[in-house]
Amino acid sequence: MADFIKNPVVELPERNPAPSFPASELVFTDAEKAQIAEYVERYPTADGAIMRALWLAQEKFGYLPPDVIKLAAEEVGMPYAKAYGVATFYTQYYKKKMGAHVLDVCTCFSCQICGGYDMLHYLENKLGIHKGETTEDGQFSIQEVECLGACGSAPMLQVTNGSYVHNLTTDKVDALIDALREGKSWPFESVTLPQDEDDLGGNRRTDVTATETYQTPPASETIA
Amino acid sequence: MPSVTIDGQTFEFEGRPGLLQFCLQHGLEVPHFCYHPAMSAPANCRQCLVDVGTPEMDRETRQPRLDEAGNPVIRFFPKLQTSCTMEITDGMVVKSHRSSEAVERAQKDNLELLLINHPLDCPICDQAGHCPLQIQAYKYGPEGSRFEFEKVNKPKHIPLGPQVMLDGERCINCTRCVRFTTEISESHQLTIIERGVRNYPMTPPGVTFDEPYSMNVIDICPVGALTSRDSRFKARIWEMSRTASVTTGGANGNNCYYWVKDNQIMKVTPRDNPSVNEYWLPDEERLDYHRFNDDRPEGPAIGKIKTDWNAAYDAAASLLKDADASRVVFMGSAYATVEDNYLLMKLAASLGADAPTYIPHIEEGHGDDWLRTDDRSPNREGCERLGMMPAGDSLAARLNAGEVDVLYVLEEDPVAAGLATTEQLANVRVILHAYNTTNQTMPAADVFLPAATVVETVGTFVNHKGHAQRVRPAKAIRGMNRTLMMEVGKSRADLHGTPFDRWHDESNLVDCQPGWVSLPAVAIRLGHAMDYRGPKYIMHEIADSIDAFDGATYAAMGEQGVRLEDVGAAV
Ligand code: SF4
Ligand code: FES
Repeated sequence: MADFIKNPVVELPERNPAPSFPASELVFTDAEKAQIAEYVERYPTADGAIMRALWLAQEKFGYLPPDVIKLAAEEVGMPYAKAYGVATFYTQYYKKKMGAHVLDVCTCFSCQICGGYDMLHYLENKLGIHKGETTEDGQFSIQEVECLGACGSAPMLQVTNGSYVHNLTTDKVDALIDALREGKSWPFESVTLPQDEDDLGGNRRTDVTATETYQTPPASETIA
Repeated sequence: MPSVTIDGQTFEFEGRPGLLQFCLQHGLEVPHFCYHPAMSAPANCRQCLVDVGTPEMDRETRQPRLDEAGNPVIRFFPKLQTSCTMEITDGMVVKSHRSSEAVERAQKDNLELLLINHPLDCPICDQAGHCPLQIQAYKYGPEGSRFEFEKVNKPKHIPLGPQVMLDGERCINCTRCVRFTTEISESHQLTIIERGVRNYPMTPPGVTFDEPYSMNVIDICPVGALTSRDSRFKARIWEMSRTASVTTGGANGNNCYYWVKDNQIMKVTPRDNPSVNEYWLPDEERLDYHRFNDDRPEGPAIGKIKTDWNAAYDAAASLLKDADASRVVFMGSAYATVEDNYLLMKLAASLGADAPTYIPHIEEGHGDDWLRTDDRSPNREGCERLGMMPAGDSLAARLNAGEVDVLYVLEEDPVAAGLATTEQLANVRVILHAYNTTNQTMPAADVFLPAATVVETVGTFVNHKGHAQRVRPAKAIRGMNRTLMMEVGKSRADLHGTPFDRWHDESNLVDCQPGWVSLPAVAIRLGHAMDYRGPKYIMHEIADSIDAFDGATYAAMGEQGVRLEDVGAAV
């Protein structure tokens, strides 16, 4: 598995791709148009609504090929180029067709230190695909993503822009894949913040009953 | 008046000037990349950092607090500030790298950061030699890099459009090019794609960067990421000289530099002129320079036989002398300078022939209300103000009626313009001053006088808004006279005039003459003295004798030209 650090190659996107959808399908319904118009109203300039419009388009079309991005930009009333820049910035916008479950594994700073790459590679071996690829049965895609804002429970991953799976272990990854294969969704996991530790007897993990691993010393000892 | 102290030096100011621009205008260099005076400041390169403080105000008295020595107490911002986005306020104190070690260090570190993934391929980069990144890295950068990993590989030599080539690795993501397409040309053809270490400018899929002003991003790119597909790898910047002049592909008189190597024009770039074209130049006017290098005549000819200049002048003079003045037609040119047209008018008048007319070159729909105009000639306005009339259909009628014996054409092509056919000209003696061998009237010419183009002459063009501007010789011709020599000398004394441009050497010298040399040579043979010490004096005479040019001297025009109305000329 080539990491970006070892093989830092940025690929040029296809510059003149074939249309992804027939023109007849590449339209918003009146209801969707009304919804986008309402988003546009919410922001000082129309451009602000592109994030939501792209989101709506992704829900509808499943992913955001260039022609869909263009459609969303036109509906919002902003330049296609700028919308394309926005769409390529976020890994949450899928620029190509994805599997039914997209596993966004964080390898940013905290997760990396806590074994994010181990989790990523374990997942890749388990599913037999590389990051950026989709399994043959169309069930799973893996993406390597930047910080998802859950550093406190690193390493973690996110399932299809939905539930977070915290404090990953290989067992937990196995359980996750089994659950998704069975058509179950991953339940919301509550992760407590350090200030609740006293209430929880020093344990801020929800997945085990007791641990001292993450216990921080009482405030009085560290703060002079 | 409010004042600001920069590196211990105090300046007065008015309004709320931007700090970076203010420093630059006062000759204080502050390194920067993303800031461009014509566009918004995103403050994303972080190179222009300075330390800024403002006087501490006493809340009660609303007066600055003073220290024991009676000086205002300055409270500095906790962090360094980007000068490009900082507005100057009264009493502000600024420390640049000249007086603050922290700023110097910040600039150094920032350059190290910018260079982490930069390929450092200056030896093969067209921007080298005039590259802000290269220059500033030398001046302010670190001596080496602490980055020991593989550099990121990004797409290279990707044509963004017909004219612009991208090297993604060289890009520092300053967004100038993107801002040009969103704020200036409004073509919206570029965007920065991807994120973090992977980002670079690109067209969105299905879009080509083919707007008519695309090449401006090459000039404003502060690195070699965007280069011209036309001129890349043809000449290093230090091998060329550049001459301040104007373009002639349209009627706006866009200010430009002509870049010359071995007496060949290598490229054309914009020259700032706030009242004409600001910082920009349309692509078409950058790419039409090949006509200065290619298809140039090999000297004067009589009836297609090559001859020398004196023989050609004699032949032209004798054709005119023998003709009945009422059967001689003079044709001026919207491509020729005011001076040359004026001399032609004098020649016609001295013979008692009808006043010359000029051919308008209007291409409806070509213009865009910006720098491109429907008028494809540089000096129609100059011809009009000289009192010349546009040539109508009458020429063809007169030719058919056999009323024309001699046609005298100054730097024009009546056949290509559809005013006459070579058959119609078969029985007419034609004297033709022309720039290129592609001139379609040339086969009909009895006397052929190769004419100097805009890059080989001295003269004046008046743009469609009445802005009179000088052109200067950018390259040498075979018969350099004293005036041309002096003008070349003056215009070369610039940033890049180097011995390598070899304007003084024999290679690629075109055997042609400016109108202000050839027209007096013909006139004098007809007994009409046109004794001028150079175009400057011709323009003096025009300014003195024609109200529409009152005050339009070379001194008044200077480098930036002058609106004729502003120097008192009658409209
Ligand atoms: S290509 Fe040049 S102008 Fe465009 S963002 Fe990169 S460095 Fe800036
Ligand atoms: S010039 Fe100020 S941040 Fe780039």
